Amino acid sequence: MFYYIIRRILLMIPTLLGVSIVTFAIVALSPGGLGGSLLGPNSQLRPEERKAVLAYYTERYGIGQPVHKQYLRWLGRVSPIGPKNAGEGWPGSLGFGFKVPDLGESWQVHRPISDLLKESLPITLLLEFTSLPLIYFIAIVTGIQAARSRGKLTDVGLGTFLIALYSMPEIWIGVLMIGFLTNRQYLHWFPSNGLHDITSDSMTFMPSFGSDGFERGWLLDTAWHLVLPLICLSYGSFAYLSRLTRGALLETLGLDFVRTARAKGLGEKTVVYRHAFRNSLLPLITVTASFLPAILAGAVIIESIFGLSGMGQLFASAALNTDRELLLALTLIFAFLLMISFLLADIAYAIADPRVSYVD
Amino acid sequence: MSIEAAQVMADGTSPQAAAIAPRSIGRQAVIDTLARPGARLGLAWLGVLAFCTIFGPLIANTHPILMKSGGAWSSPMLRNLTPADVLLMLASAMAIVLSIGRWFSFGLGLLITIATPIVLAPPALFFVRPPANVDYTLYRTMLAEGKIESAVYTIVPYSPSDRLRDRTDARLSPPNRAHWFGTDNDGADVFSNILHASRVALSIGFVATGISVTLGILIGGIMGYFGGVFDLLSMRTIEIVEALPRLVLLITISALAQHRNIYLMMAIIGLTGYTSYARFVRAEFLTLRQRDFVQAAIAAGYPQYRIIFRQMLPNALTPVLVSTTFGVASAILYEATLSFLGLGLVDEPSWGALLEQARAAGAGFIWWIALFPGIAIFLTVFSYNLIGEAARDALDPKLRKRE
Repeated sequence: MFYYIIRRILLMIPTLLGVSIVTFAIVALSPGGLGGSLLGPNSQLRPEERKAVLAYYTERYGIGQPVHKQYLRWLGRVSPIGPKNAGEGWPGSLGFGFKVPDLGESWQVHRPISDLLKESLPITLLLEFTSLPLIYFIAIVTGIQAARSRGKLTDVGLGTFLIALYSMPEIWIGVLMIGFLTNRQYLHWFPSNGLHDITSDSMTFMPSFGSDGFERGWLLDTAWHLVLPLICLSYGSFAYLSRLTRGALLETLGLDFVRTARAKGLGEKTVVYRHAFRNSLLPLITVTASFLPAILAGAVIIESIFGLSGMGQLFASAALNTDRELLLALTLIFAFLLMISFLLADIAYAIADPRVSYVD
Repeated sequence: MSIEAAQVMADGTSPQAAAIAPRSIGRQAVIDTLARPGARLGLAWLGVLAFCTIFGPLIANTHPILMKSGGAWSSPMLRNLTPADVLLMLASAMAIVLSIGRWFSFGLGLLITIATPIVLAPPALFFVRPPANVDYTLYRTMLAEGKIESAVYTIVPYSPSDRLRDRTDARLSPPNRAHWFGTDNDGADVFSNILHASRVALSIGFVATGISVTLGILIGGIMGYFGGVFDLLSMRTIEIVEALPRLVLLITISALAQHRNIYLMMAIIGLTGYTSYARFVRAEFLTLRQRDFVQAAIAAGYPQYRIIFRQMLPNALTPVLVSTTFGVASAILYEATLSFLGLGLVDEPSWGALLEQARAAGAGFIWWIALFPGIAIFLTVFSYNLIGEAARDALDPKLRKRE
């Protein structure tokens, strides 16, 4: 198992290289080329400024050089192993070795990308990690209910409703939620954008009863801001997973060992939860690999609808503005996050099913 | 076996008839699929949508169908049809004629229907030349001045790009009798926009998925059959493509492409979606290759293309076709999402772009621009998903045994 994990992590390296090559190629093939947004007609610079900027960036990014040289230059900067200044990293005396990766500077907002990530990554991860348990919990509960009432009206009705639910586009539900639930024209129940209230800095952490009545505090404020984005991000995956739970459980309930369990007089609850459900967990774990990308992509949409300044929104603006450095860094991070979660899903699979072993 | 027979079977009135007549698996699957009410509902909506796609210009158009002006009759609508309109109508006319005539088998008829617009495209492009600049206000001013003696209009007398410039008060008007779904920020009729956008959505859905499936089957088939270096390299490529969420890849490409047209959208949505099909066909081919009938075909010295296409492919194809319906649904969703993010088609009505307008209109939230295009996307995706689910259930041997 240990060696398997090591091997998988090492196998990530060629894939990450491939992703960066693909992104680099897309940028290089775009009409603006690799210098795109910097030197394109959009930048409003006076001629002499333009010249200076051009000289600086040619120096720094090697614009004008052949594409593969520019790529290697970028790679050398980003990779944790590569050329470095003597005195930093390890080994300190050499010009080549381990170092802290330098993701570069955004061309659009002129700030280090690592700073931008420090602000945006937690927001996206917060969305991901709150939606994932939510999705699994609701999906498993409803899925088991549907399987237990197989063929009845609740099952058929719930089934059709769930297909309808995951057919609803997130962009539509998001826009309707913003429109009807956060707007003063209609129901102003939720905040329309951002993750915190403007006054959240002066709030206490926990909700409390102060001198002027109830104060919701920082935690509750954040939760209140998260309600709509989380619903929007989760409902599709939840519907999909719930149907899958039902199918998997139904398959297990038809097996012989379940009949044995029933025959020896176990209660229905024990049969379903302790015997059948544990054995139908596997497809649920496998499918995580297929909807994690969906949640990550959903973050791009949801963050731009609900005005959350996470990685998704950062990515959308980077793509729209041809911010090459930011785009390359973000695609790399997206790919990294996805592959790590695929790996975790595989490990969870091996833990859930003792028959699976990755030793070879 | 016809649909009526399927209905009879679904009612359970003649189970004997089903037992007697032997059918191929594919035909049985189609019958089982159509027996489900969900699939029928889905097909009904797709039929409505296909009708709108083909006859959109006859339903919603500012140009009158017939107009008598200065004593002479003319048809501005026909004059303003685009080559695409004409070709689509010709193809559907061909389909209707062929299905009434019943001269050919279904497959051949389908082929002829598809071939019609392709063959007729060059002459249509040459002869059908709608005027480049259209003044929609012309008819209304002519009517106001009494120059039109009599005219026959379409049911909805507004084109999607008719921004009602002569009627500034018509901007952002809520649904009413003149504008069924209201008007948008520019004064364009929302119903007309939704109707004409169905063509974009359906064609992108079909063509993009067609590209994905073809590419997936080809690459996956070669990978599974030959293995070796090609298999290894293609698998790494698939891993690279799948390492990014598809939407992220699509946003990157379409943001960097400057001149987005419908063909480019089809291509990028199609090219990024082949991986799941390729994986699936590869896995199928790997197992099929060990099967006796394939070994026998190899031993008999059949040429390789024949083993691949005639022996192995039909055995791997049915599940692929089922996932194709889901593929069309997701392609339509991707198109809508890209348009919503402002990365879709330029100057063409699109459901996603309409949704975006509802948010960005600047006059608060305009519910009719948000609600109706969303319903259109939802119903279309829902239809494809219902049909896909029904087909999957129909093909699942475990479920079939129980029934």
